[in-house]
Amino acid sequence: MFSRTAKPGIRSAAWRISLWATLAFACGTMLVFMFLHGFVADDIQRRVDAWLSGEAEFLHDVTEQTPRNALYDRMVSEVTELFDRELASRLLPEAASQVAVFVLETNPKGEPTLWVGMGSVNPFLDAIQKTGATFDRPRDLRVQGFDVPFRVVSTHLSNGNIEYLGLSEREELRVLRQLRIRFIVLWPLLVFLGFAIVFFTTRNMLRRVQRITQAASHIGHSDLTARVPQSERNDEIGHLGRTLNGMLDRIEKAMDQLHTITGSLAHDLRSPLTAIRGKLEMSLSAPSRGEQDEAVVACIEELDRLTEFLNTSLDVAEAKADALRLSRSPIQLDELLRSMIDLYEPSMSERGLQIHLQCDEPIIIQADAALIHRMMANLFENELKHLPPHCTINLHLSTQGGNARLTLEDNGPGFAPEVRPHIFERRIKGRDSSGHGLGLAFVDAVIRAHGGTVSASNREQGGACITLSLPLLSPHGNGSAVEAVHGIRLRTHR
Amino acid sequence: MRLLLVEDEFDIQNFLRNSLTEAGYQVDVASTGKQAESLAQENAYDTLIVDLGLPDIDGINLILRLRQIGVSAPVLILSARRSVDDRVRGLEQGGDDYLTKPFALAELLARVRNMLKRNTPAGSESTRLRVLDLELDLLRREATRAGQVLQLTPQEFVLLEYLCRNAGRVVTRSMILDKVWGMRIHPDTNVVDVHIYRLRGKVDMKGLQPLIKTLRGVGYVLKDR
Repeated sequence: MFSRTAKPGIRSAAWRISLWATLAFACGTMLVFMFLHGFVADDIQRRVDAWLSGEAEFLHDVTEQTPRNALYDRMVSEVTELFDRELASRLLPEAASQVAVFVLETNPKGEPTLWVGMGSVNPFLDAIQKTGATFDRPRDLRVQGFDVPFRVVSTHLSNGNIEYLGLSEREELRVLRQLRIRFIVLWPLLVFLGFAIVFFTTRNMLRRVQRITQAASHIGHSDLTARVPQSERNDEIGHLGRTLNGMLDRIEKAMDQLHTITGSLAHDLRSPLTAIRGKLEMSLSAPSRGEQDEAVVACIEELDRLTEFLNTSLDVAEAKADALRLSRSPIQLDELLRSMIDLYEPSMSERGLQIHLQCDEPIIIQADAALIHRMMANLFENELKHLPPHCTINLHLSTQGGNARLTLEDNGPGFAPEVRPHIFERRIKGRDSSGHGLGLAFVDAVIRAHGGTVSASNREQGGACITLSLPLLSPHGNGSAVEAVHGIRLRTHR
Repeated sequence: MRLLLVEDEFDIQNFLRNSLTEAGYQVDVASTGKQAESLAQENAYDTLIVDLGLPDIDGINLILRLRQIGVSAPVLILSARRSVDDRVRGLEQGGDDYLTKPFALAELLARVRNMLKRNTPAGSESTRLRVLDLELDLLRREATRAGQVLQLTPQEFVLLEYLCRNAGRVVTRSMILDKVWGMRIHPDTNVVDVHIYRLRGKVDMKGLQPLIKTLRGVGYVLKDR
């Protein structure tokens, strides 16, 4: 049995990893941009401030040295125009017309004595008075009617007047806005690109992992020869594949060793058993010697029991280690049960037991016929040995899901409470049991080797109940399977 | 009939030779693959009995070698291995047979007999079997004893047919289970005995000579004389 790996959709690791990576990437780039934006804004501000301070000083010198006459105003406006032109040459040419510089001089009472700038002086004057602070260092000034603030610095003239030099921040803000627009356009593209790269890379990686998973899940109970796909790349996944294959190599080696051990154990015991049995049989064929013959017969029977025990315990041991080799073929389970009942019915009625099979449809499984025969024989032997006379055994065979389900119920004494939890373990047998205590362990081993389940319980109304479940023959290639089953049936009926 | 027995274990070799000779076969014995090869080249054998666990060569390889040098006699493979090798299965389809150790002598003899029978061209199969005063009509599935029809179940008829076909020869419980029920199982209880007991009740009626004889520890035999 292997778990089928479903196609991972929105919950796949590739998807989740890419989402988180994209989130981190988006946040990271956003933070970096904010930092750069701040840095650029500060830098532009500092440059503007330095320029403004320098120009204010120049203007201060010019106004101090220029006599206060009609020429003074023209002088200042020409200087201002010079500033404008200088700025225009430093900034973008198309912005030249928009460059706005103003010069304002106020007397100590706060009245304007000189105004060079756009529009009326009053909004500027109001704004300066409203802030109430000095402009010894460059500061922002918001003026009514202008949506962009001005950067303003002031100098004190020797006659007590204050001269303000202001520069619109329009240009500075425009640069920053352009920067932001570009970022906002480019950022989603960048994030999407990042997402795509991460998604496709992780998906490719994880596909390799999934291929390994799929291959590993197909490495069945008894088939250890398959290997997971291995890539030559020296990354973690290549490493995973190589490690898994290394592990499988070791497991396969251990299994082979187990087979060798059980095989040679069986061989080493079988040869002397053969010799002993042969000698005993030879001595039986000699002229009868009465009592001695009885002893020889008993010995032969014990030897056969020992052989059967040897076979069964090796089978159980191998099945426990998932190393039982099966030669599967399609078997019609209901027919098998009928011929089994046919075999056991006389013995059972001899002991006053009744046995009934209920099955409505042909049920075909893919199994090792010899093992299933032996397993069913074990179950029947178990009933035969432990049920008191006048009991009834009811077999019910049906399909459930993709499984054949067989329940075997009797109305006997049921399992003793002290053995019930360990019923499928080796050497567990009831107090008065004469068997070798392998019967149900063997049943469990065979069922498990075929990928089925088995459970035992006591019925409420008294008696034992054993439930077996074996996978049905898969629907692929049914034609030949049915033919083969037909062949088996003919053989058993003859 | 001349047989070649290839087996390295002295004890097994000994009793097999004795019992096969007793059964009327002429037996040559080889302990190694090499010996077997040279014997098979020198003499023509009707059947070979080969143990898989030979000291010098794997039994299967020996059989393949013998086939290569033109030995076509059927081979009965003796195996102490638990699981049946796929290669053995392959040979089995080619008319050879195998037997797992330990085995009952009766079974070994039955297999050898079967292989020799297969080797000789079969005459037209009779639809009637007759053993002393017991008669089986295989087409009508009817058995009569001393002119009296026996009331047999289909399974009992198959069992009786098997005994008749092997009349005068021992059949073991395992052989009956295999051939009549198609199962290779070794029950702890006396399931087969009960069937035989019932059959005997119907076949060996009062006043008639009992035909079905039990050989304790060995099996059953249907007397033919």
